[in-house]
Amino acid sequence: MTRLRKPIIASTAGCAVLALSLAGQAALAQDRAALMEEHRGGTMILTAVSAAGTLDPMINYTSQFWQIFQLTYDGLLKFKQGDRAEGFVIVPDLAEALPEPEDGGLTYTFQLRDGIRFSNGDVVTASDVVASFQRIFKVNSPTSGSFYNNIVGADLCIAEPATCTLDGGIEGDDEAGTVTFHLMQPDSEFFAKLAVPHASVLPAGTPTEDAGTEAIPGTGAYVIASYDPNSEMVLTRNPEFTEWSVDAQPDGYPDEIVYRFGISQEAAVTAIQNGQIDWMFDPPPTDRLPELGTQYADQIHVNPLAAFWYAPMNTNLAPFDDVRVRQALNYAVDRNALVGLFGGPVLAQPVCQILPPDFPGHVDNCIYTQDPGPQWSAPDMERALALVEESGTAGQEVTIVAEDNATSRAIGTYLQSVLTELGYDAKVTAISPNIQFTYIQNTDNNVQISISQWYMDYPAASNFLNVLLSCASFTPGSDSSVNISGYCNEELDARMHAAMALSITDPDAANAEWALIDTAFMEQAPMVPLFTPKNIDFVSSRVGNFIFSNQFRWVISQSWVQ
Amino acid sequence: MLTAIIQRLAQMVFVMFGISALVFLIFFATPGADPAARIAGRNAAQETVEAIRHDFGFDRPLPVQYGIMMKRLFISRDLTSFVNRGLQVVPQVLAAAPITLSLVCGAAVLWVVGGIAVGVLAALTRDTIIDKALMMLALIGVSMPVFWFGEMMNLVSQSRFHDTWLFSWVPGLGYKSLWTDPWGWFKTLVIPWFTLAALYIGIYGRVLRANLVEAYQEDFIRTARAKGLSPARVMVRHALRVSLIPFVTMFGLDFGVLVGGAALLTEVVFGLNGVGRLTYQALLSLDLPMILATVMYASFFVVVTNALVDMLYVLIDPRVRKS
Amino acid sequence: MADTSTSSPAVPGGIAAGERASRRARRGQSPWVRAWLILRRDRAAILAAIVLVIIVVASLLAPLYAAHVSRTDPFRSNLSGSITIDGQSVAIMQSSTQGLGLGVVPIGPTWRAQYLLGADAQGRDVAARLLYGGRNSLLIAGASTLICLVLAALVGTCAGFFGGATDMVLSRLLDVLWAFPVYLLAISLSIVLISQGITIGPVEIKSGSLLLPIGIIGIIYVPYIARPVRGRVLALRGSEFVLAARGLGIPRWRILRKDILPNVATTLIVYIPLMMALNIVTESALSFLSIGVQAPDASWGTIMQDGQTLLYTRPVVALAPGLAVVATVLALNVLGDGVRDALDPRTKLR
Repeated sequence: MTRLRKPIIASTAGCAVLALSLAGQAALAQDRAALMEEHRGGTMILTAVSAAGTLDPMINYTSQFWQIFQLTYDGLLKFKQGDRAEGFVIVPDLAEALPEPEDGGLTYTFQLRDGIRFSNGDVVTASDVVASFQRIFKVNSPTSGSFYNNIVGADLCIAEPATCTLDGGIEGDDEAGTVTFHLMQPDSEFFAKLAVPHASVLPAGTPTEDAGTEAIPGTGAYVIASYDPNSEMVLTRNPEFTEWSVDAQPDGYPDEIVYRFGISQEAAVTAIQNGQIDWMFDPPPTDRLPELGTQYADQIHVNPLAAFWYAPMNTNLAPFDDVRVRQALNYAVDRNALVGLFGGPVLAQPVCQILPPDFPGHVDNCIYTQDPGPQWSAPDMERALALVEESGTAGQEVTIVAEDNATSRAIGTYLQSVLTELGYDAKVTAISPNIQFTYIQNTDNNVQISISQWYMDYPAASNFLNVLLSCASFTPGSDSSVNISGYCNEELDARMHAAMALSITDPDAANAEWALIDTAFMEQAPMVPLFTPKNIDFVSSRVGNFIFSNQFRWVISQSWVQ
Repeated sequence: MLTAIIQRLAQMVFVMFGISALVFLIFFATPGADPAARIAGRNAAQETVEAIRHDFGFDRPLPVQYGIMMKRLFISRDLTSFVNRGLQVVPQVLAAAPITLSLVCGAAVLWVVGGIAVGVLAALTRDTIIDKALMMLALIGVSMPVFWFGEMMNLVSQSRFHDTWLFSWVPGLGYKSLWTDPWGWFKTLVIPWFTLAALYIGIYGRVLRANLVEAYQEDFIRTARAKGLSPARVMVRHALRVSLIPFVTMFGLDFGVLVGGAALLTEVVFGLNGVGRLTYQALLSLDLPMILATVMYASFFVVVTNALVDMLYVLIDPRVRKS
Repeated sequence: MADTSTSSPAVPGGIAAGERASRRARRGQSPWVRAWLILRRDRAAILAAIVLVIIVVASLLAPLYAAHVSRTDPFRSNLSGSITIDGQSVAIMQSSTQGLGLGVVPIGPTWRAQYLLGADAQGRDVAARLLYGGRNSLLIAGASTLICLVLAALVGTCAGFFGGATDMVLSRLLDVLWAFPVYLLAISLSIVLISQGITIGPVEIKSGSLLLPIGIIGIIYVPYIARPVRGRVLALRGSEFVLAARGLGIPRWRILRKDILPNVATTLIVYIPLMMALNIVTESALSFLSIGVQAPDASWGTIMQDGQTLLYTRPVVALAPGLAVVATVLALNVLGDGVRDALDPRTKLR
């Protein structure tokens, strides 16, 4: 489940730009009015195995609820509620336009739209925006130290959250309706960071503590009327809402959206087949796939994800402290077999690189395959066995730590089998999905190899390579040390910093460098990339106008149920 | 009498303290149990993790943390979950209880009726083929792992034979409220009731048969039969009455344990969000406040029903009263 | 989850039975011989014993089956292999080709030597794993029964025989364990131990070790046996012949050895098959929740867990281990009834 809870953030880098003529837009608006007339109304019923925690948009860091926050909250900017790659486009939301950078990218001034109201009736002002950014630090938002630490004054706020002012970093002028940001360094991803739910604008008086199960007033087309994590969430129309931007916060079709929790995947599939439920958040169980792919093919939507499943190897523990062992496992793993475990070639694609296919910086190049070339073709067992022999580590004990769910356990069992074939004494341990991700990060737990997934934060190569493999991401003895391999390479670290600086001025050259960095990392093999998963949505037969944004997946409010 | 009650209460408090302390220690012995990083979120800065740890009091000594948690669970009753932040655990347990009660009560009716029917019939037809067949069936009921039996029932009723007249009425898994949809409530629970009761019909039927057979050898039954009372009257008025005493005590204990959440496997297999499933979910996500609340609730029922059964036993069994 | 009944044998049958048994013992005629004579005439029990022997022998022969009949390694994934049926090569993992082509289905029962019952989601031979799984299930059930009985005998006898403060402390400890829902206790212990293992003094138990489920299952049922044992000992201690013996000045340990332990032993023996039956079910439940036996080892519970993800496409993977459990537990229960009737007809488990 955590697999799908991991959030997604994107930036402008490498995004398709939508160019529609004015005339085209007018026609679209007319169509939209007609469709709205025809399909508006009704109750849409969604379901998930479990809820995703707090309703606080500044704290919740799960893709499950970020998808919901799209309908209920707005920031200065927002990812477009559009189809596929259009979902990566950043559009102005509460702000009137995307501002031009000043001072060489250190200052940005936003002009607020007039007359937008929160669901409690108050008008959105510049003070609300300033208070919201202070609140990010006051409530210890998970990204306060990674996304918003570049704002002037953020270092003080991280040290002393309770008294955070962001002095000198953000200024609001209620009269003029402007908000000005001052950054410490130019940042090519600043807009993306403003467009995610953690930067939602909330009323200035919002308590500076986790909102928990009580919804905070927002500006979106819907409000969360009630929420019980063990039962259901009900979304109703926001009475104060009038549409100001179809791209950022479009009016929705259903009058009411009910999100039920605690229904197993098996039960949800059956209920959708019977038309009692409209959509399930979790992927359908693998033994139902053949049935869904044949009898319900037109209710299935399969879409690519910028993500990968991988097996991080602890480069500081035997036997994986030997690069030959890490390479050997990379040669030995049959990615096609793993694709089969995930549901077959339609739902996944073999990979042997860190950057996913069609991702900025990705250039097809597989060095761990029979006949190395652009694509992975087959495992090279001979080479793997030779490398293990050379390393002299055969016979050592290896424990694989998997998540306790069907897919992760199956992958763990398969890797165990491969390691056994390579001559190791291998075991698999499956631990609760809720704790596995922090467990494998902590060096105190001495995890040798584990199974994990990474979903893009933004379509920028740094988000995979720099986050997962930089020296800064490795903190020994901490549960928050996302460089799970514990791999720190000073030289590659320096190259990554250079590439990030380069991306501000020359994104293409930066991406070319990222491709080289990817290969350089794979030569050291701190992980085994396994496959890139695809997203599968199964909806009831009455759901129309299914739109999948590559950013936040299904755009719920733009589908209708009648 | 009063001292007996006070003694009972003291014992109860001791047991519940023991269990809560055990749960608490087990939790903190678990590797990876520290919830700070999980609460802080993915890839959070070290400072953020520290701030969360301090906010939630995870940096305080264990006895202090234990005290605070117990206070918030029993006195202010505002203990909140570690996983679903802001979610109060006490109302959650209270909301799950009716689902467990629905499951257990329905199953209890089935297994009492079924158990008595099997026991009496087998005792009356002692050593015939009917008796043997019934006892074999009862043993099969006892021998089936309940989760496997539930899975098989699901396979048959939800998948393989769902389209036939036999099971087309079976609704999807999950609970429906008795108050808003009584007929749906009944339909969703029929198969779980039967699954849970199968084991107990087996056990109770066997025990009752053994007791009846024993009772028929007792003097007062022989006297009653010698007096020419009808066999039915002997059975109902005399033999069954004596034999039901252990039956009642067993029922009390089993019922208490099940209401306390021991029907966990049945709830998990049938997707019923009762106390058992709540406990199981809490254990899987290592949500200490929720674990404590559900385990306290469960042990409370076990301890109370134990006490009740002891008292009931004194009341209904003349032999015990005498001694 | 404990959906197993937990009530105690609340019937005060212990006193009479205990006295009778010890009288028998003191008459110098071995109760064991007598019990064997009774058991031998119990056809159902003999049949059950035969079934059990067959199951045990089959499990022991698992390596032979894997090497010569199924000719596959039941602990190695076989995701890209194929076998030959009627001269045609058939893939073990078959990708769906109809419709959208979603899903991969393992081969179903072939009813031939290879893949007799089909493959599981890792492409392994289910029949071979069933036999290997039987070994672990039986081993765990047997060993945990032993641990449980030894501990229960120790605790129950001490509490009952010494009384006073010893009894007080032990009984309260039992109360705590008793009121802690069995499966919750097992799950909590497993979640802790499975991830890291445990080190007790010089002994280190690794996280994947079978000793963990054995220990956990052995401990959780101790109160169920210790309580009746204590009751029995308590009754014996107050019985006429023990009082008389003490009056004659016979030392306590001698009374314990001569009069009390033999009685406790009969009680314990009656419990062996019944506890084993209970433990097999418990093991399968824990493994089903993936907190029992750890991969790559198999047990009937882990195979059921594997089967759960194939329930709609290959139900036999879940069906077969379930039937194996039912058959074994049924045989154990029948045998248990026979042993009880033979040794001590008034003992009741639960």
